[in-house]
Amino acid sequence: MIEPLFSSPTCFGAASIIGPDKIFLVLISLTIAFTSLAYLRRTQTTKGKIALVYTHLIFLFFPFFLLSINTTCGVFCLSCHNNVPALALYAVPTSVLAAVATGFIFLPSYFIYTNKRRALKGGHLVRFAAKHSSRLRIRPPNMYVVDKAKPVAFSFRSFRSAIFISVGLLEILNKKEKEAVILHELAHIRARSSAMKVSKSILNVFSPMSLIVKFYDTGKEEEMADDFAIRVQKTSKHINNAKKKMEKFYS
Amino acid sequence: MQVSRIRLHKKKLGVLSPLEMDVLTTLWKRQDGMRVRDIYSALKNKRKVALTSVAVILDRLYEKKIVKRGIETGRGGEHYIYSCRISQKDFEKSVIDKTVNKLIENFGPIAVNYFNERFSKKSG
Repeated sequence: MIEPLFSSPTCFGAASIIGPDKIFLVLISLTIAFTSLAYLRRTQTTKGKIALVYTHLIFLFFPFFLLSINTTCGVFCLSCHNNVPALALYAVPTSVLAAVATGFIFLPSYFIYTNKRRALKGGHLVRFAAKHSSRLRIRPPNMYVVDKAKPVAFSFRSFRSAIFISVGLLEILNKKEKEAVILHELAHIRARSSAMKVSKSILNVFSPMSLIVKFYDTGKEEEMADDFAIRVQKTSKHINNAKKKMEKFYS
Repeated sequence: MQVSRIRLHKKKLGVLSPLEMDVLTTLWKRQDGMRVRDIYSALKNKRKVALTSVAVILDRLYEKKIVKRGIETGRGGEHYIYSCRISQKDFEKSVIDKTVNKLIENFGPIAVNYFNERFSKKSG
């Protein structure tokens, strides 16, 4: 009889034994996940909130990866089967990678590539964004025009920040109003609002229990972004007009 | 194009709103396509209308597949160029066709008999 390589004396094929050691690890992991969720509400800084969101996700993913890796090791009769330290060693980096990749790569990339868009390489708006980015001490964002008639503008701060503006928005706003929208989005990039929005949506998808913890107030973020536009333009006229025009489209 | 509502009290073609009809009539006059601002400029002398309303109507007509659009880069950045998918004559024909089909679908032999009576009266 040929013995499989890395065979384990406790290997039972696909079967995995959920012993007290694994249950203990799962409980510890879930406790950390929910403690970080509870702390989200108290934390004021964006960086702190994002850190807690990812801590929550990592420890929420951990039990799933721990048990999945255990089953996989069992199927292939590998030595990691029912070896709790080895399983934890594999499950921790896998959970970290899954949480970080979901937040920083998959979701922003999915969003960027599913929107029909074209990059703006030059022109007034690109120069305007570059000028004010240096004022805010952030890297000038990539600018994209989205093929949509509905007036929308949003920004992302991932590996490289980006501002998206729909053709519909460019059509209905005048020059000063467009500038106000760009300033508003730059303020969002500076405040890492998109990271918070992405984190919140990930949390809502993967951890429905997070719905009960209201840790992110979009209203305050919008006010802060508007204030920046008003401060730079020295008037609230343009940002308010832009908003009115956008609201009129949807009414 | 889908006929979902016929406006019997309207003087003009009764499947679109008055503003939709005005926008479409403006577009029919120009075969090469028009920007939202061009259509707005053409309409604002005739009736009280906002640029945003024209943009909304054009998007609605695009979703109904009555107009087509393409992005162009020009003064003031990117914008859409809208043009009609079909001529005024073909549009009117398709409205009549779909309206008659709907009537026959809903009223069956009664509608067919009515059309027979009506057309025989007209020819006689």
